[in-house]
Amino acid sequence: MNLVLVGLNHRTASVEVRERYSVAPADGSGLNEKLVQMSDLDEAVVLSTCNRTELVAVSSNPEAAIQCLTYFLRNEIGDGRLDMDQIYELRAEAVVSHLFSVAASLDSMVLGEAQILGQVKDAYHAGVRTRSCGPILHRLFQRAFRTAKRIRTETQLGSSSVSVARVGIQLARELFESFEDKVVLLIGAGQMAEASLHGLREAGVRELVIANRTLENAQLLARRLNARAVALDDLEVELASADVVLASVQADRPIVTKTMLEKSTARRSGRPLLIVDLAVPRNVASDASELSLVYLYDLDDLEDVARRGRENRATSIAPAEAIVIEERDRYERWREALPTVPTIQKLRAFAYERVRGELAATGQASGAELDRIARSMTAKLLHEPLERLRREAEAGAGLYYRDAVERLFGLEEED
Amino acid sequence: MMILSLDLAAAFYLAVAILGRSRRDHWIARFSGALLGLGVGMHAVHFYLLHSGPATISLESFVAALSLIAWLIVVAYLVTERFARVQAVRPWVAAVAAAVTLIATLGLRSSLGTPAPNPSGGVWSHAHVLLSATAFSFLAISSVVGFAYLLKEFRLKHHGLSSTLPALETLDRVVHLSLALGFALLTLGVATGFAWARSQDLAPWTAHTLWLLGAWAVYCVPVTLSWIRQQHGVAPARGVVFGFLVLAFSYVGIRLISGGA
Repeated sequence: MNLVLVGLNHRTASVEVRERYSVAPADGSGLNEKLVQMSDLDEAVVLSTCNRTELVAVSSNPEAAIQCLTYFLRNEIGDGRLDMDQIYELRAEAVVSHLFSVAASLDSMVLGEAQILGQVKDAYHAGVRTRSCGPILHRLFQRAFRTAKRIRTETQLGSSSVSVARVGIQLARELFESFEDKVVLLIGAGQMAEASLHGLREAGVRELVIANRTLENAQLLARRLNARAVALDDLEVELASADVVLASVQADRPIVTKTMLEKSTARRSGRPLLIVDLAVPRNVASDASELSLVYLYDLDDLEDVARRGRENRATSIAPAEAIVIEERDRYERWREALPTVPTIQKLRAFAYERVRGELAATGQASGAELDRIARSMTAKLLHEPLERLRREAEAGAGLYYRDAVERLFGLEEED
Repeated sequence: MMILSLDLAAAFYLAVAILGRSRRDHWIARFSGALLGLGVGMHAVHFYLLHSGPATISLESFVAALSLIAWLIVVAYLVTERFARVQAVRPWVAAVAAAVTLIATLGLRSSLGTPAPNPSGGVWSHAHVLLSATAFSFLAISSVVGFAYLLKEFRLKHHGLSSTLPALETLDRVVHLSLALGFALLTLGVATGFAWARSQDLAPWTAHTLWLLGAWAVYCVPVTLSWIRQQHGVAPARGVVFGFLVLAFSYVGIRLISGGA
């Protein structure tokens, strides 16, 4: 059984091409079924994220499988207008390393981003639902999740945020212990602010207020985000109760002034206020940062923090890659031992039958008690030899030992 | 054995202070937590040996009080850690505890063999030492956390991240609560101190008591800001750090200057 992978990603194909070859989450299950049905593949899963579409499969004939996957990718998923140099093919160990790197976000456009793991999990679950994911891919994906988790906890790859929107959330975490009782005020309805809002919602923020020049637009967005809409004239009142302010209004002069914040600070009972100004020109007067308990960050500050995050992440690549190699080797050892599994099962059945027969002949036990004793004796008797067989198989001598065991116990005749 | 147990406790605290620099590593963080627990345990063994054997050091003596303060600082911190994510300041607290324990162990070595002063203050003297030592420990926690608050606040104001330290809100909450607890106990400690002096016909206005009263007065400022005016942030944090410096001087500095133990 060989692992193969065919795909395209942000390194090999432009965004226009990737758009044509992307798979909607709802279509994943159907494509898995179709892929296994129309080809001679033992197992297959379609993985599609915003930056990649990949087909990973298990087959006894890897070359034929590659051809089949390439055809499927070009003609069944896409429109057939794809240059071959935009597709990459991977085999055996390279597939394992690649999938582990993808799950851990080492192969992502934004290094260390967290969303990719969820997308890999979705692809795996779709494969499980359609039964196109068998034992080898099941183990491969489980190991990939474990690798991603290890990299996240043992390195700093996931600890520093890199996108501007995420930096805003990270800043809020520096100030607040939890977001459940916090009020977030969104000034304007820019896309960047909206992205941060989604992140804050995920972090636990319950109360969102949207202030906009056009109240109707604020109400529209408020309905979508389950928030409260207010007019820009009410800004001063809302500033007094807000804990986080995200500003992204198109304006040629600051709409939040130091005086306005001074007035609201008097009603804040000493609570800190984080202001993230995402607008250019800036929405918040720069001298507002002089106020006590007001923490003002503009785009330049955020980019500076994000750059430091990227630098931190870059130092984590080597340890993360070492974890990928370690986990790949473990997976490969497991795969080496896989051919001995049927022999182990046959040997267990063989020993069980013999032990049970001998015990039954003594007449000292019967029924469930006889089965229990026979199972226990078999397990004790075979524990050490089977453990050694597994170890030898992981070391690469599995086939030799498998044949020896089958010949010694006459197991091959039972096939 | 009595001194060895105190030395070991100081060594454990010191190890936590040093290990704490690598707190990003999960296992080291857990190990340092276990070491701190061992230090507290070893310190408790020291107290047991101190009071179960032929006592040469009374609770009212300077070194015994210092040792008690160091132990209570760690205990107060461990209690705080149960309610707030303040593990990042663990090495700082351990460093303070290690320093105080080391002073205590040096003092203990030099005072062994000398006749024990007769405190004979009864309940008042014990109450004064215990209340003041507990107050000192909570106020030490509040000053360490207050310092962490000022450091983090400074970095955030200058657009830097400081993810190794807890959130400002957490630090502020710990300052707020430990200040309240420490100040209440300090007030009782001062009151019982005067009661002790009165019961023994001692002069109440010594350098120690004057500085202690001064520290109490200094602490009135952050208490007023934090609990009466409900003001949070930099001002109470500065108050607890400054207050603790005065308090530490009233306990340790004044005795070191006068050479008394």
